[in-house]
Formats: sequence, C-alpha cells, structure tokens
Amino acid sequence: MKAATTSSEHITLERDLTSSGRFFTDLGTAITKGDLFVKLSILWWGAGYARRKQFFKAIAMTLLEAAVIWFTVAFAVQYVPKIGTLGTVQAEQVFNMETMKTEWNDYDDSFQILLFSVLSFVVWFAAVLVVLKNLVNVYQLQRREELGLHINTFKEDVSTYLNEKFHVTLLSLPVLGVVMFNVIPLFILILVAFTNYDQQHMPPTALFTWTGLTNFINLFGGGGLTLTFGYSFARVLVWTLVWAVFATFTTYFGGILLSLFLNNKRTKFAKLWRALFIVTIAVPQFVSLLLVRNFFADNGIFNGMLTSAATALGIIAEGTTLNFPWLTAPGWAHVMIIIINIWIGVPYQMLIATGVLTNLPVDQIESSRIDGASTSQTFRYITMPYVLFVTGPALVTDFVKNINNFNVIYLLTQDVYTTTNQALANSQATEVDLLVTWLFRLTQDYYNYKMASVIGIAVFIICAVFTLVAFNFMLSGDKEGVYN
Amino acid sequence: MEKKPINTKQLVKDIFRHVFIVLMVAVWLVPIVWLVVTSFSAYDGRDMTNFFPKEWSLIQYQKLFTPDTVANFPAWFMNTFKVACACCVISTLFTLMVAYATSFCDFKSRKPLMNLAVILNLFPGVLSMIAVYFILKALGLTNTHLGLVLVYSAASGLGYLIAKGFFDTVPRALCEAAKLDGASQARTFISVIIPLSKPIIVYTIISSFLVPWMDFVYAKMIMNSGISDMWTVSIGLYNMLDKSLINTYFSQFCAGGVLVSIPISILFVIMQKFYVEGITGGAVKG
Repeated sequence: MKAATTSSEHITLERDLTSSGRFFTDLGTAITKGDLFVKLSILWWGAGYARRKQFFKAIAMTLLEAAVIWFTVAFAVQYVPKIGTLGTVQAEQVFNMETMKTEWNDYDDSFQILLFSVLSFVVWFAAVLVVLKNLVNVYQLQRREELGLHINTFKEDVSTYLNEKFHVTLLSLPVLGVVMFNVIPLFILILVAFTNYDQQHMPPTALFTWTGLTNFINLFGGGGLTLTFGYSFARVLVWTLVWAVFATFTTYFGGILLSLFLNNKRTKFAKLWRALFIVTIAVPQFVSLLLVRNFFADNGIFNGMLTSAATALGIIAEGTTLNFPWLTAPGWAHVMIIIINIWIGVPYQMLIATGVLTNLPVDQIESSRIDGASTSQTFRYITMPYVLFVTGPALVTDFVKNINNFNVIYLLTQDVYTTTNQALANSQATEVDLLVTWLFRLTQDYYNYKMASVIGIAVFIICAVFTLVAFNFMLSGDKEGVYN
Repeated sequence: MEKKPINTKQLVKDIFRHVFIVLMVAVWLVPIVWLVVTSFSAYDGRDMTNFFPKEWSLIQYQKLFTPDTVANFPAWFMNTFKVACACCVISTLFTLMVAYATSFCDFKSRKPLMNLAVILNLFPGVLSMIAVYFILKALGLTNTHLGLVLVYSAASGLGYLIAKGFFDTVPRALCEAAKLDGASQARTFISVIIPLSKPIIVYTIISSFLVPWMDFVYAKMIMNSGISDMWTVSIGLYNMLDKSLINTYFSQFCAGGVLVSIPISILFVIMQKFYVEGITGGAVKG
C-alpha cells in the first residue's frame, strides 16, 4: 500500500484524513491513538515534528515553548502567586545601612500584580490552545506517515499560510491588537470592580485588595455613607436613557424629514443646501461643540444679542442684561443639549436617509400612484416602511452610541456646569452627566476606579441587553447568506 | 401628467419648502459663520455683544503661527498629522485584512470570532480607557505619540464590518476564476480583490486618518504631562478655552478651528459618499 498509491486512492485517503470537524473529537483520537512522539508533544512541543523530520517546525515549536517557559519563570511568577491578596508589602522608605541612603523597600504594586496576572493568564490560555492544536496536528502527521501520504516540506508548510490558512496570516496581528487593547483592558475593568481601588488605595504608595461585591451593593442603593451613590446612579441612569431616546429619535426623524425636503424633485439647488449642511458636521466636534458652548454661555454672545434685541424693542429697561442659564441650570441645560445635538446629528442622518431614499423601490411608488394614492399615502404606506426596514438596524446601533455619547455631553458641560444638588455633588455626578461622562470624571479627577468600573459594567449590561433584544428584531433582516 | 399647468397649491408648497430649507440652512450655519468671522477679529477674547468683529484683522492667524508657552499650533498640527498618517496605515491594513478573512476565507472559527467581535464592540471605548492607560504606562508609552497611534489603531480590526459588507457584494466567481488560474489566496486578495475595492479602501483610509483629528478623550488622557509641544490639535485647542486663558485666546481658538476644519472638511466631503454607501449599501442591495 505504501508508495504505490494511485491518485484516486490518494484522494480517498486524503478524505479519510480530513478531521471530523469537532475539535475535541479530534483531540481525543490524537491522545488515545497517537504514538509515543505524539504524546511526548505535550511536554516537548516539537517532538512530533522532529519524529516526522519536519525539523524547522520542530525548532520553531521548541523556541515558542522556551519563550512561554521563560515568560513564566522570569516574569509571571513574580505576580501571579500574589493575585489572591493583590500584594501585602506596603511601600515604605527604609534606611539602607550598606549604602547609607534612604531607599524604597521591595514593595508590592497591586495594580501591576493585577495587570500582569491577567496578562499571564491570557498567555497561558493561548499556550494551552497551542498545545492542544499541536497534538491534533502531529497526530495528523502520524496518520499521513502510516498511510504513506506526502508530508509537507517546510517550504510547503509556509505556503499554506498564503493559501488554505491565509486567514491565520491575515487575522493574527489584528487579533493580537484587539486582545492587548480591548480584551485585556476589559478583564481588568471587570476585576477592578471587585476591589477597593480608589484614591485612598493608589499604587504604588498604597495597596488595594479584593472586596467582593461591596461596590455593587454601594451602587445599587446600599446604606451607610455611600447612600448618595445609589441616588446619583438612578438620576444619571434616567437622564442617560431619556437622552438616548430623544437624541436618537429627534435626529433620526429630523434627518429623514430634511432629506425628503432636499430630495424633492422641485427643490432648487438641492446640492448646494446639502453641501452647506455637511459643512457643519465636517468641522471637528471639539471645535464646533466648544464654540457652541461659548455661544450659549451665561455671559456669551447669544445672551448679549438677546439683550440688545430686547432693549431695542423696549421689553427690558436700558442697562439691564438678560442672563439665561442656557447651559448652566438643570432643565435648561437638558433641553439645550438635546437641541444642540439635533444641530450635530441631523446632517448625519440626512446623509444616510438620502442614500436610502435614492434607492427607493420606484416601481412600487409608480403603481401606487396609478392606483390613485395621494402623496401622503404613498409616503405613509410605502416610503416610510421601506426606510424603517433599511435603517432599523442602524437605529439600534445609534441608540447604543447615544448611551455612550461622550463628546456631546463632555464638551458642552465640562468645567461649565456645576451642580447645586449636594447628593449628586457628593458622588461627583451632575444632573447632565451620562453614565460614561460620570465614569470618566470619576477616574480622571477623583481616581475612584472601583466605582467607575462598576458603572462601566452597568453600562455594558444595559447596552448588551438592549442590543440582544433588538438583535432578534434585526435577525430577519440578515442578508449575509444571500451573498455567501 | 407632467405637462399639467402649475396650480397655485403646488406653488405655495414649493415656496414654503424653499423658505423652510433656507431658514434651516441659516440656523445651521450660524455657529460656523461665527467661527470664521471671530477668527478674523482683532480682539483676543470673547466679544459679548457683537456677532461680527468691530475690527477685522489677520492678527489671530499670525499669533497662531508664533508659538508661545501656551499655544504651539504648528507643532500640534504636525504631531496630529504624524499620528494620523501612522494610524491610517495600520488601521487600513487591519480593517481590510479582517474584512477579507471574514468575507472570503472559510474557516471553522469564523462565526464564533464574528460573534465575539459583536460583543466586544458593545463595550464602549471610554469604559476600558482606564485599563488601556495603565497598559500603556506599563509599556512606558504614555505621553508618546506611539502610544496614541496604538490606542487609535491597535483594535481597529473590530471596525471591519463596513468593509466586509462591501466585500460580500463582490462576485465569488472572480475568486473561483483566480483559483483556477492557480492564484493563491494571498494573490487573489492583492491582485483581484484590492483593485476592485477602491471605494471602500478610500473610505477606510480617510476615516482612519480622521480619527486622531476628531478624537479628544484619548489624547487628553494619554498626553497628560502638560508639555504643550507634544499635544495634538484637539487638546491644544481645548486648553486655549481654559477659564484662565479664554479671554486672551478665544479668537486664536477660532483661527485654529478654521485651519483644522478646512482639510478635514475636504476629506470628509470625499468620504461621506462612501459613508452612506457603507452604512446602507449592504441592506439596500439586498
């Protein structure tokens, strides 16, 4: 059977070799039926390859294994054993008798312990995956050898990464980036929520430790000194949701309305008008929003112009000035923020709606007109359902984006809006804060990482639940299969 | 039907619509006009009573290009430009790579990976910012431009969906043909798909280039040392409006705002065409 396989037999054999499709089934077969070298691959990752004379691969796997071991011995052991306490040695300055100088002792840095432990766990998790995948691979090699099939040379192996395994080449770097700057930060965020990491417990000078669910209890209305946190959370959450609903729907319908006006065949200079609207959103938000905030400042130009106008009309006496608290009093600020957001958001939505409207099913509209439908009927029964269907998913993501709309709130109110509500002030929140801006202030100005993390988790849960519910709705519109 | 004489009802409607549009445009442009006219004001601080400056001058632009201890606009502009270029290259590559892999390659972990990306995208960036900051600190990259580039572009693979939506509409027969001609996957990607994807590549390039110009939060957090020469445009301009500085720098802020807005507006106008296509394209064509 060995070297004398014909090409048709070859194909059957190759088919036999293709894995069952279930990773753990393959793994089980590899462990039970693998020879000594396959089993040895658990300890020496290169063993299976060395046995089948794939020496480059053997060396590469051995080097990788050495790197993981070196990482563990030289780096991870300093931090991972302390994860249970997050460090016990407080930083102190001690007098060193030998050098006759005051030096820092060999202290524990709780945050480094947390960060590097998480990193170690991620590395080890990846290493375990590599070992398991490796087992399956070397067992495949064993089978190939047993069946007398061709075993790839190093060059051929490399070329698979430009062919069948091209996705590995493409995805490895982007995934690494996501793991480093997205996944690991998320793990840390979640873990910090269970510690007492705040201004009184700031590494390196102080330690922080695990406190279980204390922060969650405090946030959701636990008693004692932190009573205000529960109150603030409820206030901020309500405003966040109110804001998200208003911000999403005002801009959405505003955008559709505007694009309907501009798309009307009888509208002159439509392109010019559209371009002028686009100019307003092309200016970076930190410029336009900071400008608008000064426009509506208490002693800003809008109040100034109102004063001049009112004086000229004789509504107010000469010399008095109007000082409407556009962005500085609760109520006023809430309404103004939503209005200013309309200014920012409607042109965006107009762009999207224009794109959708130009793709309207013309034949349906024609036939409805022939059937004698009026313009408003056509709009209500054909245009609107179509637009809703196409932009529905975008509406969902817009809502989530608005829950986390940091820029508008922060740039309009930071350093300008101060709350007079003592309970809110105690927990560093204001009436106009969204959960994310509150979180940002807690970390940037007050170093209250523990509560910020809890709020972060709460925001995630809100967004996730909302998206999941909406996802079911979106599922029917999933068109991916049509193309694949 | 078309040749009907214009009735008065229609005419009134038309007039009303045009008046409405012009009014809206006027309201929408007020802040922009204010930005431009204030940048040409001779007065440094905020003018409370006059919309148009009393005295016109180019002095704010002149001041903007003579750096002082607070404001160093030329340096900020160059910093942002450098960061934006680096970011643009990395983000574009990552986005296209992930989009190609998820659209054209068939592998077992494709669906699970895409679902994971959906979940990860639910965590807004602001939330993990604290941890990102500490990771950069551990790597010694806070207050460096490399740190900023990493923050803007390292996780950019997650924003692959628009490009994937575009790739999904490319006919599969093209890839089959390339495969029959003996082209490898890599070759198909580079010589067949990339040349076909100019619109989405332009969109990706411009949108990733714009990120550092538009971002404010990350820059503020990472460049926190107070050395103004290292700042990007956004933190620099924000700082000009500090309570203690606003009365001497407000008009300069406007001048800076105008200068930043011009190139960005141009890029944005080019991009918006693709933006609409990207958001709605997949669904519409379905």
